[in-house]
Amino acid sequence: MPIKIKVILQRGLFMLLCIYLPGNMLFANEGSNKDLEKQIPQFVVQGNVISDTDGLPLPGVTVQVQGTSNGVVTDFDGNYEIEVAAPDAILQFSYVGFRTKEVPVNDRSTIDVVLEADVAQLDEVVVVGYGTQQKQDLTSAISVVQSEQIQKRQSTTVAESLQGLASGVNVRGGGQPGQEANIEIRGLKNLRNSNPLYVIDGLVTTANRDFNPNDIASIQILKDAAAAAIYGSRAANGVIIITTKSGRSGPMEVNVSSKVSLTEIPRYDLAGQEEFVRLNNMAYDNAGVPRQELNLDVNTDWQEEVFRTGLIQDHNVSFSGGGNNSSYFVSGNYFGNKGTVISTDFDRISFRVNTSGEKGIFSIGQNLALSNAVTNEIGAPEAMRGNPMIDVIRMFPTIPVYDESNPGGFGYGREGVANTFAANPVAIANIIDSESENFRIRGNVWSEIEPFSFLKYRLNVGYETSFDNYLYLRRAGSWTLNQPYEETFTNQNRAQSQTQLIENTLTFQEEFGKHRVTLLVGNTYQKDIYEQINGTKRNLLVNSNTGEYFDVLDLGDQAQVGGFRNEATLLSYLGRLEYNYDDRYLLNAVLRRDGSSRFSEENKWGNFPSISLGWRLSNESFFNVENINDLKLRASYGELGSGNIGEYEYLGFINTFGAIVLGEDQSIHPSATQVRLANSQLRWEVLKQTNIGLDLSMYNNKFGLTADYFVARTEDVLFGFPILLTTGNDGGNPISNAATVENRGFEFELSYRETRGDFEYNTSLNFTKLENELVTLGTGLNESIQGNTITRAGEPVGMWYVLQTDGLFQSEEEVQNYTNSDGSVIMPGAQPGDIRFKDVNDDGEITNEDKAVVGSPWPDFEMGWNASASYRGFDFSMNWIGSFGATVYNGYRSIVDRFDDDSNYRSGIQPWTPENPNTDFPRVVRASTLNARGDSDRWLEDGSFVRLKYIGVGYSLPQTTIDKIGMNSVRFSLSAQNVITITDYTGLDPEFSNGNIFQRGVDFGSFPNLQTYSIGLDLRF
Amino acid sequence: MKNLLYKITCILAFGGLVMSCQEEELNLDNPNALTTEQFWKTENDAQLGINSVYAMFYKDGSFQRWMYFRLDLTSDEGFSQSPWIELADWTRFQYINYNFWEGNVVTWRDTYKAIFRANQVLANVPDIEFQNEDDKKKILAEAKFLRALHYYYAAILWEDVPLVLEPSQPGDLHQQVPVEQIYAQVEKDLNEAFADLPLDWPADQVGRATKGAAKAMLGKAYMQQHKWQEAKEALDYLVIGDGAIYDLVENYKDNFTHLNENNQESVFEIQFGDQRRGGTGEGPDAAVSSTRAQFFAPRGIGWSDGQARYWLIDAFKEESTVDGDLDPRLQHSFFYPDLFEDFGDRTYGREWEWGEDEAWFRKGARDYYRDNEDYYSEVNFRLIRYADILLRYAEVLNELGNTSEAYQYVDLVRARANMAPLAVAYPSIGNDQDAFLERLKKERVLELSGESVRWADLKRWGDLETQASVDEIADRDPDFNNFVVGRNHRLPIPQDDVENNPNLDQHPEY
Repeated sequence: MPIKIKVILQRGLFMLLCIYLPGNMLFANEGSNKDLEKQIPQFVVQGNVISDTDGLPLPGVTVQVQGTSNGVVTDFDGNYEIEVAAPDAILQFSYVGFRTKEVPVNDRSTIDVVLEADVAQLDEVVVVGYGTQQKQDLTSAISVVQSEQIQKRQSTTVAESLQGLASGVNVRGGGQPGQEANIEIRGLKNLRNSNPLYVIDGLVTTANRDFNPNDIASIQILKDAAAAAIYGSRAANGVIIITTKSGRSGPMEVNVSSKVSLTEIPRYDLAGQEEFVRLNNMAYDNAGVPRQELNLDVNTDWQEEVFRTGLIQDHNVSFSGGGNNSSYFVSGNYFGNKGTVISTDFDRISFRVNTSGEKGIFSIGQNLALSNAVTNEIGAPEAMRGNPMIDVIRMFPTIPVYDESNPGGFGYGREGVANTFAANPVAIANIIDSESENFRIRGNVWSEIEPFSFLKYRLNVGYETSFDNYLYLRRAGSWTLNQPYEETFTNQNRAQSQTQLIENTLTFQEEFGKHRVTLLVGNTYQKDIYEQINGTKRNLLVNSNTGEYFDVLDLGDQAQVGGFRNEATLLSYLGRLEYNYDDRYLLNAVLRRDGSSRFSEENKWGNFPSISLGWRLSNESFFNVENINDLKLRASYGELGSGNIGEYEYLGFINTFGAIVLGEDQSIHPSATQVRLANSQLRWEVLKQTNIGLDLSMYNNKFGLTADYFVARTEDVLFGFPILLTTGNDGGNPISNAATVENRGFEFELSYRETRGDFEYNTSLNFTKLENELVTLGTGLNESIQGNTITRAGEPVGMWYVLQTDGLFQSEEEVQNYTNSDGSVIMPGAQPGDIRFKDVNDDGEITNEDKAVVGSPWPDFEMGWNASASYRGFDFSMNWIGSFGATVYNGYRSIVDRFDDDSNYRSGIQPWTPENPNTDFPRVVRASTLNARGDSDRWLEDGSFVRLKYIGVGYSLPQTTIDKIGMNSVRFSLSAQNVITITDYTGLDPEFSNGNIFQRGVDFGSFPNLQTYSIGLDLRF
Repeated sequence: MKNLLYKITCILAFGGLVMSCQEEELNLDNPNALTTEQFWKTENDAQLGINSVYAMFYKDGSFQRWMYFRLDLTSDEGFSQSPWIELADWTRFQYINYNFWEGNVVTWRDTYKAIFRANQVLANVPDIEFQNEDDKKKILAEAKFLRALHYYYAAILWEDVPLVLEPSQPGDLHQQVPVEQIYAQVEKDLNEAFADLPLDWPADQVGRATKGAAKAMLGKAYMQQHKWQEAKEALDYLVIGDGAIYDLVENYKDNFTHLNENNQESVFEIQFGDQRRGGTGEGPDAAVSSTRAQFFAPRGIGWSDGQARYWLIDAFKEESTVDGDLDPRLQHSFFYPDLFEDFGDRTYGREWEWGEDEAWFRKGARDYYRDNEDYYSEVNFRLIRYADILLRYAEVLNELGNTSEAYQYVDLVRARANMAPLAVAYPSIGNDQDAFLERLKKERVLELSGESVRWADLKRWGDLETQASVDEIADRDPDFNNFVVGRNHRLPIPQDDVENNPNLDQHPEY
């Protein structure tokens, strides 16, 4: 793509010329020309400017006499002619996307110059969807992320590697192999799914774990509605545009990179056997029940049994090159992740070919990626069992890993010896296999006809398909106490998903004096199909040769099969007008009309307009502030429709799965009925977003600032709030146009770069402050309580709604004195050492009515700080992220500190006893929910943290050395991720991710981010 | 210029071509299921629809699982020592979170799911053309029977609940009505159902509601309201009327195994099978089984979330058979420490390895042919069996002052257990109405323990209405020390529904 952009730039000559002349200079020019007329004689220098990459002439290059305001630009053929006052003057050649070059005149009258491309500068051209714009021309909120920043990190998905690199972009990942990160752009704008739209090389898709981040050339994040509007109904959560690499003209370049990482999972600080036994006995003694006969001969460290050092390997090779009219890029990648939990891993092999070519008015290109990804997960059959992060804390140190007397031979709870229903994670790892594999083909072919310089037609045909295999195998055996007998079985499915995309766009681009107009019209058609067949067989046979079960569906009994197909189509018409007057006034207007199969006939279509304006203040004649190179004010308003719901939500349907037993022979008879209710009147959810921003660049563009304030209001939010149970609805809440959600936020990015000799550094800071508010909650609902959170109108989504603790009772007297205003004892059953809960409604007892909103799971603000520096061959960079002010629920502590139900405990706790009254840890009592209830603020904590997300150093061999060995570049790198975390949070990882929108602040068994230590080698030749 | 026009025309024509063939593609049918508009057209649809109401018995809030916690464990027959504290708390009147799913909400939800299904049948089937109008009437009658059955249990558990008689829409805000109105609807539905239900079904349809089942439910509903005369008239049908086709099976045990199901004693039986091995949801393999045994089996065999109070064992040992043996019903009712000593019988083939004062419910347990349990018990649950009807009939007669008439029906039940006639065994009762009722209470326990009738019995007898009688119960079941008179005779309504429905109030005592 960069090549393509450059071609456009070169052809576009004058059209683009003015932009790159800093405003003040341009206007100063007019004055100085008059001055020049008086200053005779002059020395004339002429010459030609070409690009280093393809040797083609560069039109529009600014040629300036250093230290003066005297400047010209090169013509269409790259020629220039400039008068200089003195033969020892220095000429400065500058052009966007190229390094500025200074050349002393030294009495020469002809100076030909070769400009070197500046990769970083090229990113100043921003891909905006169905076209590109100069960053200076942008009127909406778009962040650009450097691909090198992403590729430095060891991450499975693109989303994960975006963390902290752009303002307004919140990413939460986890360390499970193949785990996909949650990404949220400018807050929670609907209630279903916050993931943005990914557009990879023009193909609307998802950049999930089978996409190779090494292929990325550039990433743009479209944040406001005006920017995303062109993608219409799919773009309400923002758009991440990914352009993959392409070849440059010249001989083939080979790039080999390899990175190997060791990963460590953070561990809980749990009680050892001795401490566990002491505390467990205390809890039984306090409850007045006989102690269990703990098996003191056993001392199991469950974390040691389950966790291990992980290993990530990322090996990448690419070949790229091209001629004047064609280019190619071929890459292959292997990514392997041996998980930090036993029995988990992720493997990906991917392959990509991008090519393009042109002849005359016709050009064509193609992008094709193939990938195969395999994930092995630890089976998670139940909520409280099967999640290793929970299992390791619930299992006692006194339970052996293996126990021959149990079916399957694994140790777990035993009545009177180890009273727990915790699951043995080693048993689950061995008994259950859960493997998914998917083979994906993702590609597009585009062609363009440019019959006139001002008119271009583009056809883009995209296709993506994934063939998914899933295998679940349950062997014989048990993993928990009293487990019902279950026969062996295998459940498997085969699925294919497809996306077909056809896009026609026609672009008109012309300049009329100071008016520059780009008009884009087009239509797009997208069809998504997902088909699956699945089967189950039970009572599997053992293959006597391997000792393993046969896992094919031919063998076994009680066959059961199923299958389904989902289809959706989206048809859209779009138009965009970009207007630029004199590089001072910018206007961008988009109108999009979307039709979706997901809505009923009368509600299928929606029209979504947007408009954005920019004023390049710095180009005004009256604006003459020294050191300001560019200043632009932006304002935008846009509406986006979203139809992000299931394929057939508006249709009520009949569930025919049921059956009943009837007759003397007790045989099965089918049944059918409507189980799930449906709203036939569903309509588009509409995001209305207003954005005000400014872009500032100062001191020779060394200092940059982009700041935005936005209000994003989503109306008719499509969501299935729980409806009354008396409706008899089941199988999911029917979707309705339920709520209105608003996100107001402020974000900025500050950057500074400096070069002093061989020492270069740059640093940037981004800041995001966001306020989420649920404006209304839709019909009939006052509030929605989910778990320990409440979502009610006028407050942010998912506020903490719990009982409040108020210290501990220290004496029986205190219990009796704790009365409401009527004098009745509020907690008569309490004993010294128990928690005192607040009787909020003053009714003399502690009930659900005493719950109150006590905190917010939303951070006050989040920040990212990136810094990098290089000196000669050495380079250094680091990223810090910080999140401040969120209150989170420590699910870990709610298990290990509860004591009513046995589990392992936190190391070092000092429960209240008559001898130890000076503690905030209540009396521990087996089987009493008094102190253990999960719905109190006892488990809430400040989730603020600052984390060193990435730190790395690299060394590139000097040019002289690599020339000798025939290399273009050789770079070694060492890096680490997540190594420093500053936080008061006592859970495993404050940067946890919870996909439940209403319970985003609940850290209950979330897989923590891993500490990663990497070594890498990068070769180019 | 001509050239330009030509080129533009070409492009637009191509674009237009691509677009025009696409618009109709926005109309996609669901390829996976019938829509509600497509359904309810044929006799078969009606049949499938009514079957789906029966299928509600397989949901965990219903008689598949949690209903037994409400009816058996909450009563003084059972209790819970589950390590899942909240689960156990809901069997001992410690209701903290009214939204607790397993203890309250799921049963509420499944009750209304069943009602929704019955309402769909009642709203849609009348418009379907049937070859034989009687078939249609039967289906409608079954729907009314089942709707009444679920409202009956809703009245027992929560009392004042919303009355929903039409298929629901997502935004409905149903109106709560007093329990009397719920019972009135139950009576209306059952009377109408009785008219159109058959006396019995062909062999392959056995298990569906019958006239006898309708009258039995009606009798139960009247009895809860102390409408003794109406209750007598309803039960007359089964005992001395046209519907008197029932009899006790010879072997008491046959009421609790899968070996002699739908027998002559069965008035209404929930049909369970083990053919499908899924969960209790609505998926393609949704189970048709009971999980009661898995949840009630002794520790190490099942979850043991519910067990029997030991006073029940003692109650059986108060009186011997005419041959001087232990009441044989004890053997089939409980697993208890002396089971082997008393009857030479073991607990799932095991020696007694549990507490000396512990006992577990045995009815429905499958130890007679296996040594473990799972989630797929095929043993039908006899929701109403003739022995219950006989004892009820006796109770009704006694309440109406016909105590002497009542004896014979109790004796029928006693005789099968080889117990002497009541008048012989307890001559002091005579025609003392209160004494007879007191004895009848014991007889019902001996015959029907663990069969989910006790909670309604306690309510009907008023034993939950005074502190004195609750204290008496608490002697047998200490959980009743937590019982608050005027509060715990009914469950709190799930709080979410209360908060989201302006037409539904929480019970004032909660």
